[in-house]
Amino acid sequence: MDATKSLRAIAREVLGREDIACLIGYEKGSYGFRAQPCVLTEPDQADRLIFSPLCVHNLTNYLTLEQIGPLSKADIGKGKIAVVVKGCDSRAITVLCAENGIKRENLYVIGVHSPGVVDLKKIERRFPNAVEPAEVSLEGDSFTITCEGETASVPRSELVNAKCLRCKNNVPQGCDVVVEGPEHSMEDDFADIAALEAKPLEERAHMWQEQFSSCIRCYACRNSCPLCYCSECILDKLRPQFVRRSVDFPENLLFHSARAFHLAGRCIECGECERVCPQDIPLMVLNRKLARDVKELFGYEAGADPEQKALFVTFKPDDPNEGIL
Amino acid sequence: MSSFEPKIVAFLCNWCTYAGADLAGTSRYQYPPNVRVIRVMCSSRINPAFIINALLEGADGVLVSGCHPGECHYTSGNYMARRRLVLMHRMLEYLGIHPDRFRMSWVSASEGAKWAEVVTEVTEAVKVLGPNVIKREQVWMQQSL
Repeated sequence: MDATKSLRAIAREVLGREDIACLIGYEKGSYGFRAQPCVLTEPDQADRLIFSPLCVHNLTNYLTLEQIGPLSKADIGKGKIAVVVKGCDSRAITVLCAENGIKRENLYVIGVHSPGVVDLKKIERRFPNAVEPAEVSLEGDSFTITCEGETASVPRSELVNAKCLRCKNNVPQGCDVVVEGPEHSMEDDFADIAALEAKPLEERAHMWQEQFSSCIRCYACRNSCPLCYCSECILDKLRPQFVRRSVDFPENLLFHSARAFHLAGRCIECGECERVCPQDIPLMVLNRKLARDVKELFGYEAGADPEQKALFVTFKPDDPNEGIL
Repeated sequence: MSSFEPKIVAFLCNWCTYAGADLAGTSRYQYPPNVRVIRVMCSSRINPAFIINALLEGADGVLVSGCHPGECHYTSGNYMARRRLVLMHRMLEYLGIHPDRFRMSWVSASEGAKWAEVVTEVTEAVKVLGPNVIKREQVWMQQSL
């Protein structure tokens, strides 16, 4: 609750400024466990803002859009965009600025120390049919959930999003203002990736065949990704057409490998692609495999350093020659 | 599988391996006729999507070959290619595509004999694997990529 209070105070001050065009934050959703992104332009709207473990979205995805909420491109040009970010989201801004996707001086970044967000799929399974807007807060090591007039307490580890259990650092980086909170950082040991790699090739092929065959190619994984913002995307190019329109395993294999590969060395592991996937394809298992390999092969980590150049525009003469005849 | 003759798509850099393959020919080195050579100006021209596309279009194996590191005609093209394709090689294996289906090699213009060796090795490996099963199912439009 405290984060919400300080966030509102900051928002009121920020929205009153001349140089700020809008503020992108979270507000209470219309039903169940939903919080929703909102775009505010006036100081008196600041009380709509919330911050809770339900704020799952990565709002930096809005920064590269042509139109943000009610604002047209011309309106956006009139001032800075203020955006609320969690630790993982702030790394997306680092990567976006490093590759000149957006300009840092056009942003006003409000960082929040997020103690971890819930996994909506898990919480909705636990509390099915929640219609009234529910409230969730983290107290100590458990979520306090107020849903349909009843209050329940559930251990954090049972409902928290898997990405938060291996959060590199929940302290947002490069912010203009930060809402303080508990800090934590962990090392991802990539144990699940190693376990999958240890399986026989046929088993892995079978697993991905099953997963990719279920893909309906809604493109939500690409559209929700803050770092997939190319105006001309290989995935929907027609001349030359790389990915054809039939939705079957071979095309989906090309689709998913191209999507994941374009994020190699760029993916900041916010988990948006996996969260929005209607077919529950474990996309992060692929993204994290590439993140681990990039670290292992080239000692490179996405979003770790604002000064570092993009992975594939640099090289070292002593890069590994693995598997080359 | 003894009668299986794989199709191998080979992307060769214009300055080194293409000349190397030419030298192999003029020097009368024998190597399996399974490779289909596509000449590109540099190994860094290879978009990783080309590799999967070649496999989907019916290739049983893909070979990318360029200049030795440090000898690129464009100074650093093959270093760029190496970063991308080594990672690609790992990703394909993770996705269940046998690592022998996609190989990379460095063959210079003077290494006609090495080219013959590389082709022999790649062809033998793919022969053992058998035909590639991941192919486009619906070919309803003839189109060039």
